[in-house]
This record gives sequence, C-alpha cells and structure tokens, in this order.
Amino acid sequence: MTATEPRTALAACGGLTVAYGSGEARVTALDQVSLALEPGDRLALLGPSGSGKTTVLHALGGLVAPTSGTVSWRGEPLASLDAAARRRTRAREIAYVFQGANLLPHFTAWENVAFALHASGAAARGGRDPGELLGLVGLAAKLDALPGELSGGEAQRVAIARALGQRPALLLCDEPTGHLDSDTGARVLDLIDALQAEFGFALVIATHDEQVAGRLARTLSLRDGQVVEEETR
Amino acid sequence: MSLAARFALAGMVRAPGRTLVRVLVLAASVALLGGMLLFVGNSLRTVSGTAVRAVPLDLQGPVGSLAQATRVAGGIARQAGVLEAVPTATAALSSAEHNGPSGATRAGAGAVLAVPPGDGRHIRTFRFLRGSLKPGGVVLDQQMAATLQARVGDRVTLRVRPGARAVRLPVTGVALVSAADTLFQPLNPALGPAPAQPPANVAIMPLQTFARTLAPTARSLTPASVRSNAQPGAQDGVQWQVQAQLDPVPLSAGSPTAAFNAATRTKNRLERSVPGQVQFVDNLSDKLNTAAGDALYAETLYIMLAVPGALIALGLAYLAALGTVERDRRDLALLRARGSTRRHLLGLAGIESALLGLAAGLLGAGVALAAVELLVKGGAHLTAGRAAVTIAVCVLVAVAGAAAARLGASASVLRGRVADGRREGQRAGRPLWQRLYVDVACLAVSGLVYWLTARTGFSAVVNPDSNPTLSLSVYMFFAPALLWIGATLLLVRARGGALAWIARRAAGRRASTPAGFLLASAGRRGAAINRGLVVVGLLLAFGVNLGIFSATYDQQATVDAQLTLGADVTASAAPGVVAKRDLTARVAAVPGVTAATGVDHAYAYIGPDLQDTFGIDPATFPRATTLRDSYFLGATAQQAMARLRARPDGIIVSKETITDYSLKLGDLLRLRVLDRSTGHFRVVPFHVAGSVQEFPSAPKDSFMVANETHLGRVSHSGGPNVVFARTSGDPATVARRVAAATAGAGTQVQNITQQRQVTASAITTVDLTGISRIEEAFALVLAAAAMGLFVALGIAERRRELATMAALGAPLRDVGAFLWSEAALVLGTALVLAAGLGWLLSEMLVAMLQHVFDPPPDALAIPWGFLAALGGAAILATLIATALAARGLRRLPLGAILREQ
Repeated sequence: MTATEPRTALAACGGLTVAYGSGEARVTALDQVSLALEPGDRLALLGPSGSGKTTVLHALGGLVAPTSGTVSWRGEPLASLDAAARRRTRAREIAYVFQGANLLPHFTAWENVAFALHASGAAARGGRDPGELLGLVGLAAKLDALPGELSGGEAQRVAIARALGQRPALLLCDEPTGHLDSDTGARVLDLIDALQAEFGFALVIATHDEQVAGRLARTLSLRDGQVVEEETR
Repeated sequence: MSLAARFALAGMVRAPGRTLVRVLVLAASVALLGGMLLFVGNSLRTVSGTAVRAVPLDLQGPVGSLAQATRVAGGIARQAGVLEAVPTATAALSSAEHNGPSGATRAGAGAVLAVPPGDGRHIRTFRFLRGSLKPGGVVLDQQMAATLQARVGDRVTLRVRPGARAVRLPVTGVALVSAADTLFQPLNPALGPAPAQPPANVAIMPLQTFARTLAPTARSLTPASVRSNAQPGAQDGVQWQVQAQLDPVPLSAGSPTAAFNAATRTKNRLERSVPGQVQFVDNLSDKLNTAAGDALYAETLYIMLAVPGALIALGLAYLAALGTVERDRRDLALLRARGSTRRHLLGLAGIESALLGLAAGLLGAGVALAAVELLVKGGAHLTAGRAAVTIAVCVLVAVAGAAAARLGASASVLRGRVADGRREGQRAGRPLWQRLYVDVACLAVSGLVYWLTARTGFSAVVNPDSNPTLSLSVYMFFAPALLWIGATLLLVRARGGALAWIARRAAGRRASTPAGFLLASAGRRGAAINRGLVVVGLLLAFGVNLGIFSATYDQQATVDAQLTLGADVTASAAPGVVAKRDLTARVAAVPGVTAATGVDHAYAYIGPDLQDTFGIDPATFPRATTLRDSYFLGATAQQAMARLRARPDGIIVSKETITDYSLKLGDLLRLRVLDRSTGHFRVVPFHVAGSVQEFPSAPKDSFMVANETHLGRVSHSGGPNVVFARTSGDPATVARRVAAATAGAGTQVQNITQQRQVTASAITTVDLTGISRIEEAFALVLAAAAMGLFVALGIAERRRELATMAALGAPLRDVGAFLWSEAALVLGTALVLAAGLGWLLSEMLVAMLQHVFDPPPDALAIPWGFLAALGGAAILATLIATALAARGLRRLPLGAILREQ
C-alpha cells in the first residue's frame, strides 16, 4: 500500500471507497484504496473474483463515481469535472481493454477501431489509420471481419488496436487474457508489452493470475475491496 | 410457494418498470379484444332488435270466415309473448270512383284491408295522415286519395269485382299504408312469406263495415284455396285472416339466430294453442333468418377489422418480452448451472406468464369495459354474466399471450445449453413455412379471390323478389385475411434484408463518418429493425385500413340513406302549402341549413304505367342534395341538370323506360298527368332530356324527373310538396329546428340520421361507429406504444454496446443517434408500408361491399384527420421515446453494464 500521492501523478486515488446498494443490501466493493500512477508505470491489480480489481479500473477511468475518497487525473479531481469533461478526458487519455473485448458487434474490426478514433477525437487530431493499427496487432488480413467471425484472441487484439487508436496516456486492461488459452494469452500480453514500449503509456492490468501480474513492475494485491499487499519488482 | 414461483415473482419485482410495460402492452391488446367482444355482443342484439322492429306484421294466419278469425284471434291474444292478435280481412278491389265538383274521377284496381277498430297499436302496417277509422266509413291510402281527388268527408264508390254491387262510403281519413307488400301477399303457410307487388290503390275499412258491405259481394278464400292465389297479386276474393304481433323485448335480447329460434318456437306454440284452426305465415322468422345471415357477415366484418389489430398488439407483447431476454439469458444460465432442468425453466416462464396475464387480463377487461362505455353510443349494456365472460376471456387471452410472447422471445435461451447462456441463440435453417413459400401462396390466393370478387361480383347474392335481401358469402373474406397473413409472413421472411442492403450500400465498404457508422450499424441489424418494422408497420396498416374502411362505410351508409330520404333533411307538406307559406325560403333560413329546394312529388302515366314523377328546380336541386354522376346514364349529373334547365318541357326517364319504349334523347314523350284543377288526367307532351337510374328519394323501379315549374303549370299542382335541405351540422338537430320553423304548416320533417336506422339491409344498419372509435383509439395508443417499445427495446438489447461506445468516449449525442436513426428508419418505412398495405386492404374490404350499398362507392373515403393523428401519434411517441432514451443514456451505469458477462 502507498500513501504517497505526488501532485504530478498521472492518475491517483486516495481513500477510495465504492459501495453499491443501501441498507442490508449494501456491498462495499472498494474500501479506502489509495494508489498513484506515473507516466509509463506498469501496475498489476491482483486478486480473486470480487476483490475489487475491476472497480478500481472503472474508478480510475471515471466510469464509477467514488462513494468517498478522491480520484484525480493529472492532479485534478475527476469529481470536479462535469460528465462531458470526464468523457473528453476518458476519450483522449484513458483507454480500456475489457475482459470480453467488448467489440461493437455490428462493426467490422476496421470500423471498431475507426469508431474509437472518431469517438476519442483522435481521427480529427490526425490519428493513425485503423488498418495500420490492426496491422500492428497482426490482423491486417481481418480488417473486414465482424466480431462474431473472430476468435477470442483476435477479438482481444482488435480491442487493443482500438485502445491504441485513442493514443492513451493510460491503458486499463481488465483480465485481458481471462477468456483466452494460455498460449494466446501470452501472445496478447507480449503484444501489450511491445506496444507499451513503443507508445509509452502507463499500463494497469487487473488479473487473478499471478504469472500475468509477475510480468509487471508493481503489484497491488486486493482482497474484499482492500489493498492487502503491494509489491514492487 | 415453490422456488420457481418465488424466482418468477422476484424477477418481476426486481424490474418494476419492465414488468409494468409488459403488463400494459398485454392489457392493451386484450382490451382491444375484450372491447370487440362486448361490441359484437351489443351489435348482434342491435341487429336482432332492428330486425324485429322492422317487421310491421309478424304473423298472418289464413282462416275461412270472420267468425273463425275472431275466435282464433281471441285464443292467440291470450297466449304469453303475444302483444296483439286481431281478426282482419283483405280483398281485391276492381275499381273506385269519386264524384267531385269537377266530375267523376276513377282509380284502377287495388285492395281493401279490413281491420277491427283500434287495430294498429302494435301492428304497424299503416298510419293515419288525416282523420281516423270510423264505423260505416273508409280510409284511403294517400296515393288513392290523390288519384281520386278525394278528401275527408267526400263519398267514394268501391267495387270488389267487375259487375259486383257498388258500395258507396264516406271517407273518414287518409292514411299511409307502409306494408302493403306484406299485407296483401298470398297467404300460404306451406310456402311462407312471399311479399307481393303492392297494389296502387288501398282502402282501409272497419272489419264489421267490410263484413256487412263489401264481403258479401266477393267469394271467400279458404286456407285450402290459397294455393290458387299463390301468385302475387292474383287474389280475387276475401282473405279472412288472423294477424298477430309478438313481444319484441325477449326476442331482442340475443343474437338474430337466437331470436329466430325463439320466434319459431313461439309460432309453433301459438299454433298448438288453437289446434287445427290456423297455420301462420311467419314474416318475423323470415326477416330474422335474413338478419342471422347478415349478423354472420357483420361478425366476420368485425373480426376482419379487429382481430388483426389484437394479434399485432400481441406482437407488441412479444417485443416487450424481448426486453427481458438478456436478463433471462443470465438468470437461466445461473439456474441451469445450479441444476435446474428445462422443465423447471418452462415452469418458471409459465408462472411468470400466469402472473403477468392475470394482472394484464384484469386491467385489459377494465379498459375494454370503460372504452365501450365511453366510446360506444348506448354503452356496454353490462350484466354480471357479460362482465364475467369478458373478464374471463381477457384473462385467458392475456395469460396465453404472455406465455406465447415469453416462450417465443426466450425460445433460443430455453433450447440452449448452459454454456450458451452467454451467447446469442441462432436459428438453424429456415422454418417449414418459408421452405413451402406459404407467404407467397397466401398473397397469390388473396389476389385471386380479390380478382374474382371484383370481376364476378360473387360477393353478394341479391334475392330476385320485389324486396331484395342480401346474402353475403363469408368466403370472400379470404382475400383480406390471406393478405394480412401473406404480408406478415413476407415481412418476417425478408428480415429487413432490403433495408439492410440499402443501408450497407449507403454506408460504403468501410464506415468512417458519423453517418457511415449509423448506416453500417443499421445495415447489419436488419433482423432487429425488421422486428420493429413488422409490428409498427402492421399496426399502422391496421390503423390505415380501419380508418379508410370505416370512413368509406360511413360515407356510403350516409349516401344510401340520403338517396332513400332525398336529402339531409326533408319537410313534406300538403299540396300547395310549400308555395303558399314560402316554406322553401323558411327552411333555407334555418340555422344549419346551407341550401334548400322545393320538389313536387307527383305521379304520371306513361302508357299504362303510373310512375313517380319528380318536379325539381335544376338550378337549386344539386345544391340542396347530392347528385352523383353514377345516377345518370350518358351524362354527368351537371350535364343532366343543364339539359333539363335548357329545355322547360324536358324530362329525364329511367333506363327501363328508355328500353321499354325505345326512346332516345330529344324524343317526344306524351304523358298523362293528373290535372289537379279538374281531377282528370290530361295528355301533356314532354321531351326526353336524359336517362337516370338513381335519384334522391326516388323508388328503385321506374320514375321520371322534370322541371318543377313546367310540371306545376301543366298539373296545376300548386307547387312543390316537399322541401329538401342540405345541412352543415347535425341533421337531427337541424331537423328539429326545421320542424319548429314550419310547425304551423303541418309539415312532416325527416332527417338522414333516423333514415340510417331504417335502411333496407340490416348490414348497413349496423353502426360501425362504435367499434371504429374503439379500434381507432387503440390503434393510436398501440402505434405510439409500438414506437416507444422499439426504442426502449433498442436500449435494452444494446445497453452493453451503447455503454461500450460511451466508455470509448463517444458523445452521448452520437450514442443516442444509433437509437433515433433506427427509430426514424422504422417509422418512415412503416408509414410507407402502412399506406400501401392499408390502402390495399381497404380496397379489398370495400370491394366486397359493392353490393351492400346503393349506390356502390365511387372511391375510398380518406379520413385525413384520423390518418394524421395516427402518424402524429407514432411520430410523437418516437420523439418522446428517443428523448427519454437520451436521458436514460446519461444515467446508464457504465461500470455495472461493462462488468456484465
């Protein structure tokens, strides 16, 4: 656990608590979690199902509002931003790779990436061509395939290409290998490593797999919404 | 409570909004059915009541003598269910003569009706216009009085057969005999009713006067001799008979079939009460038998109008149930993982459907009762039994509808394995009906039946006697029924393929712009868009069909009634009064009257035929009533009136006259016109100015139309005797004002609203207004609900996709565009589909009514107001739904949605 929260941190949360429901049905997903991320950081959130890993990712990305505590982006509390500003921040600087890829089902691989470029404004800022990004993840031959026509690994690679299209400062990956066999999973992780080295974004991977966590520089272990251990390699 | 029941209840309580939508949609569909059920029940009772009340004389039993008639009538009158039974007699009249101040006037052959004093309380075969029936006197039918130029107080001479002793009697009244065809028909119980050509001259006498004066001069017919008089008009003696009228109240309580059975049973009981003394000719059962056929037609018509709407409304329930599929998929995967079997899952769906159906059924029944009470004139006429049946049917239909929608929507989930819980189900192969091309076959057969209907007119059979009755084949309803089925199946088969193809072409190979993304998405969601299109398009088509058909039906019923009556409002007066009191101007000045014209309804002989002759003012007549081009042959209405105006002695004659006398335009035609100043017929030359087959207030057989000024000059009639008026407001209200304005002139005022109640066919007396209002209201609500549901379903089905877009940073405006653009696409296509399909269905239904209405409709009536409201409701609902959807998007719990697996 760390209590440090430098003002220059790319992203940080302090005393972050997230609870769902009320009364007897109240569930505390996160309890007093604090962390800080610098540009280029490689952080693993390790824990079993229900430990709060995904909620940390969502809180960092502004998809979940904290019940208490703060989440800040480049030193500015996300709570102080209105919904549109949070969306702009998310679109321009934070990208997701979800566990199930979450590709848009009615768009081809090319269009999935193009839509992300359009949505984040990257296309207007002179972003890379969707075909080029898909080429980077080895899917140059599958540009016009619909998500239903892709394997799990291919879908995950499209999701990575989509995330890269946003030119993020922070890439949040939620169990990126959760639905993949070990070989495919390893190849996806290699790809993420290579791309991080090339693009220099900060990387946070939520995983229950210690081997995956072991590939990253720092690990926060979560259990029942609380940070139980922090390890830096 | 079992686990499944608890789970079902918990699922419904956990998502109250979704449960409420499903209940409301189901309730709306069963309310439509329930409303129809109540309305049809009421209408059938209306048909029975109309048919029973339309029979002026229920039973006629021929007997051999006055004494027997008196004895049998006494016995019959004491029986339950009999309002009146009286001894009467009819006899042929060979001639009549009146010696007035200007000399002797003769009338040709006719008939005598002899009734006891006080007759007519319930038997409505004639009504007095002036005077009354007095012992030792005679009452003349108005036409006979006009022919003889006889007034109350004059004396007339009657003779029952040539050479028989003449009887001279004082005229004590003038009457209008309204059921001469029934009164003077040959009475043969074995053959049943055979309404005869009504005699031109009818005299009514007190029974005892008749027995004392005329009867001894003619032979008596006995029941055994009636066979010799089976030919209408061949009666040549005295027919003693018993006339009876039954109590209409119990007969009007059920359907025409029930009324027919009850009337037949009553007749049999009456005959048994005086064994061997009388057998009745049953006019009532004859009428009810026809009404039963008409009722079957009406029922089929209602079904054709309402059932498609109710079935499509159940399609809405299916759409609503689709909103739960994602939840079902997760719940069922969870249950299966915990060991539940398919049977348990089906049980769960069944319990949920029963709970939903119960709530929706009760609500729907309430709405149906309220709708009928509020929207149908006269209300629901509810009894405890009818209410119970309505509620039971609504609940049963709602439970069945909920189960069908639930199982249909979740079929893929229920069929799948545990591992499939996370995947969308896909149908393997095409269903049997698609492989057999049932849709194409339905459309082909529908077209064939319609073509046969339009070409051969086999839709209606008109009995070729003097009182046409209509008999319609229910088979002709195959055309619209198969069109509904075929069009629906074809739409389902298409799966939005055409729309998707167009969208994909418009989007290009790879979408990269906002519009391109929308089109690409729509192009790949053809099946989902089609689902909305099927329900919304068919619902709107239902509304369009209903609106057009109802408007056309209403228009034709009005045209039919106007043709029979003559105008929206008519005021009849004694000869000379209209001109003397300037009634035409007085009627024209009444608020609500937009135009008025005077008409001289007279009679003239062409050869030996006495024909109704109408003297009109060709300049004002078309303004005061409706003249359709189809009334005239070889000319438009405007041309016919222009010809008449151009030639003062012009006369327009009927098609039969043109044929019978080999006439052509401009030919000289010599008519014998009654000169009212002398009481003699005089020959007056006219010139043929045209040919006519229908004319306001004219009879269905031959008649003539001439210039009123010329006709009045040659007949010295003193001017018009009827005023026709067109109204801009409610005809009944305006008629009351006209009656008040002309009260002092002794006018008899009639209006088109009351006329519609007494038109010849029971079919046109069925007021479609009630069911139209109910269905139009439901069509508006359901069309709006369908669009709202489509948008809501879009959010429910695509929430994960939309949440992903939002998580990627897409502005909510862009995300919302994926919903409203599809809604706009569905709405636009549905409106086009509805216009085409609705119009085609209306054409088919109206084509079947070609023979019901007189005259047949020239074109469909388009209810622009209702159609605008229908489209407006769908557009408004779409706008509201998309606005709510945009609000809902802002509140999407992105984190929670993106965690869902």
